[in-house]
Amino acid sequence: MDRYLSIFLTFARACLVRDMTFRANFVLECLTSMGWMSMNLAFYLLVFQFTPEIGKGTGWTREPFFAFVATGLIINSIVQALFMPSAEELTEMVRTGGLDGVLVQPLDAQFLLSMHRVDFSSFANGIVGVGLLGWALSRMDHAPPAAAWLLYPLLILCGVAILYSLVIMLAAATILLGRNQSLYDFWFYLTNFSRYPAEIYAGPWGGPLRALCTFVIPILLVVNVPARVIALPLEGQAWGLVWLVVTAAIVSLVVSRIVFQTALAKYRSASS
Amino acid sequence: MSRAVAIRPFPGLRAWWTMLVICLEERLAYRGDFVLGTAMRFLPIVTQVFLWTAVFAATTRSDIAGYSRTDIVAYYLLTMVTRAFSSMPGLAGGIARSVRDGSIKKYLVQPVDYVSFLLAARIAHKLVYYAVAFVPFAVVFFLCRGYFPPMPDTATIGAFTVSLVLSFLLGFFMEATLGMLGFWFLEVSSIIFAYMLVQYLLSGHMFPLDMLAGVPTGVAGVSVADVVRWLPFEYTAYFPAAVWLGKIRGAELVRSLAIEAAWVAVMAVACRVAWWRGTRRYSAFGG
Amino acid sequence: MNAVIAVEGLAKEYRVFDKPEGLAASVKSLFHRPSRVVEALKGVSLTVGRGEFIALLGPNGAGKTTFLKLLSGIITPTRGTARVLGHVPWERADDFRRRFALVMGQKNQLWWDLPAAESFRLHREIYRIEPGRFERTRDELVELLGVKKLVLQPVRDLSLGERMKLELVAALLHEPEVLFLDEPTIGLDVVAQHALHRFLAHIQAERKMTIVLTTHYMKDVAALCHRAIVITDGAILYDGSLDQIVDRFTTHKIVTLDLDDTPDADDFARLGFPCEIRGPQVTLRIERQRIADVLPEILRGRQVRDVSVEDVPLEEIVAELFRSGAAGAARLPEEARA
Repeated sequence: MDRYLSIFLTFARACLVRDMTFRANFVLECLTSMGWMSMNLAFYLLVFQFTPEIGKGTGWTREPFFAFVATGLIINSIVQALFMPSAEELTEMVRTGGLDGVLVQPLDAQFLLSMHRVDFSSFANGIVGVGLLGWALSRMDHAPPAAAWLLYPLLILCGVAILYSLVIMLAAATILLGRNQSLYDFWFYLTNFSRYPAEIYAGPWGGPLRALCTFVIPILLVVNVPARVIALPLEGQAWGLVWLVVTAAIVSLVVSRIVFQTALAKYRSASS
Repeated sequence: MSRAVAIRPFPGLRAWWTMLVICLEERLAYRGDFVLGTAMRFLPIVTQVFLWTAVFAATTRSDIAGYSRTDIVAYYLLTMVTRAFSSMPGLAGGIARSVRDGSIKKYLVQPVDYVSFLLAARIAHKLVYYAVAFVPFAVVFFLCRGYFPPMPDTATIGAFTVSLVLSFLLGFFMEATLGMLGFWFLEVSSIIFAYMLVQYLLSGHMFPLDMLAGVPTGVAGVSVADVVRWLPFEYTAYFPAAVWLGKIRGAELVRSLAIEAAWVAVMAVACRVAWWRGTRRYSAFGG
Repeated sequence: MNAVIAVEGLAKEYRVFDKPEGLAASVKSLFHRPSRVVEALKGVSLTVGRGEFIALLGPNGAGKTTFLKLLSGIITPTRGTARVLGHVPWERADDFRRRFALVMGQKNQLWWDLPAAESFRLHREIYRIEPGRFERTRDELVELLGVKKLVLQPVRDLSLGERMKLELVAALLHEPEVLFLDEPTIGLDVVAQHALHRFLAHIQAERKMTIVLTTHYMKDVAALCHRAIVITDGAILYDGSLDQIVDRFTTHKIVTLDLDDTPDADDFARLGFPCEIRGPQVTLRIERQRIADVLPEILRGRQVRDVSVEDVPLEEIVAELFRSGAAGAARLPEEARA
């Protein structure tokens, strides 16, 4: 474990050195990702011009909703920074045979393949997210209780773990198919569901969709549970969700590990 | 490059047919990606529809900027159609890449006009795309037929069709011009990304632009929507959809179509000029 | 024998999908994708002792790289067994993976945008090399290859030959007992090839490493390897020393005569041997058993300045082996009998 940490730090260090060699590019990447984020924030501001709340009686008024958005920014920036660049590069490694070089090294292949790149520019959004969270919470009528503050980082970690599992499964698909140009698209479309409070998925179509994205692909839990704990009153229902997201995180980590190992085994028996 | 070649609209019908067949084969070879890709493109809309439904559930208004709840659903679905015409995946990036890696040279040597070649290839791509994507689109529109207002009159349908064709040309020339910036800048991916951001916001892909009518610009009596109307972006998503929904009629419709046509002309000329100057620069500096 | 590598009946099959050409075929392939099973390796058996330096020769697609991938545990076989350093490679025990290295000539394993020193540091972490030993080994390798100045330059700025040298340093940092080299000299110029050969010969002798190298450059083999294994079509065609290849597979010798004047073509054609006349130099291809009988006859009555009798060049023999494959191997002795 100690060794893995020091290997990860070596990766991170090398990536930082690399980012600093291409400084202009690094700054541009920070700016563009923040541009994308501010556009979304502008859109939400526009939406609140027309309504006091998202969904009747849900409690997602302007400030809590922005706390929700901030939570999403934090979680996504962690995943984008730590896991996405490696997963994207995996596509290239499968195509060029670079994967072979990884498999001969005395190290867990999943660790190496999912964590060897760190994209520091993605942390920019997370930092803005923390600022936005502070702003939204300070303008709310009620302050989050101490329990919420304690749970929040843990639940963020659970969200990251669920998204990480999804990345790993997409990476497994890449290995099996030999190529996957639309890996990033797929990711975008899937995580799209996690961008709004779960309450919006209501009605004859929304109900089943909500159940699907909660229990089968637990994408709806990722942002919703931490955001709800920090921004809305901690009531009975919230505690159930806390247990649910912890369970979902553990289960998806295990399942994705199995899927990834199976994909590697297939790669080994199918390639020449 | 000789003048006679430069004004030839297409590099021959035979070549064009071959291109069409190759495009189709390519699509079929990657059919898994393709079917999945088309289906998934509807997913963001699903979220948007639920979001607006939740907004309408909480607000006391019956409409937002003139859009009822069903109008909004219809609007998002229609922007899918307009984006199918105006979006040019990989065009700008592809041009910039071929400048960077030098493969653009072959178009300087071969008796083919590059812009015409790209346009023909794009038309072939789009035709094949419509042929295959027609089914998922038809299914979605049939399922959602309840959200649409009654069928518009023939004149509106005509204007809608014209606006779609123009939006294809506008999208093509804007992206091609963007890609040719690669002659001047080594790394254009950031520029392309910035363009996509602006495009996403101002084309009406994100929300009906009428909602900007209440947003002030700082100049008295001028809203953001008034400014956006004169920019090319809204013609690649918002405009055709708004035409179908009957939001733009009469003199305003004619004026907007004229603005769209003018932008197509401007961008077509810009694209040509960029190509001429770019290739001159390229051959002068040896790439 | 102290076997480092022991392979028994190793076979690898995989399925390939054909991409038919043409529109109609593309449509058809929507419903049924034609596929077939390709046998990359058809039951190979072989033993390699400690400190051996062997070459795997063969044309493209013969199964050399598949064989190396199996030995390094990247892929799993369809049939057969293998032991490398006492381990089954495809079980990929960390203990095993720490004891060998794989270098692929066409693939870059160093960080592209960073100096090689960063990649070396990473290797130290991955292979858990203790700092003192790491520095000693690194300095020694860097010194031997003369790449001291390159270690701090971004890898992308280096030439192919320089990059290959640094790849080798990275691969040898953990002092592997077995080294697999897949086409290490591909694309390199003669000078770089030579430098690499010298280095490999030195390091192998000094460390008693077991090295398996795939190549199709005969120069690699002649300079380095004591033992050559020819693979064609997924099967071993020849396994032995290089000299024996010549003995076993050549039926002819090359006789070269330096004459005073340019001779008459018909004069030599009459002898009945394939011959080539270039100015005053005549080259004849004569069956080995007949040389002793025929040579005096040829020399008689001719103004000969010099004469040499040589074996057919190795390149040609091996090229012939590749071409003929297994069927050819059976044919050769028969021809010799005639």
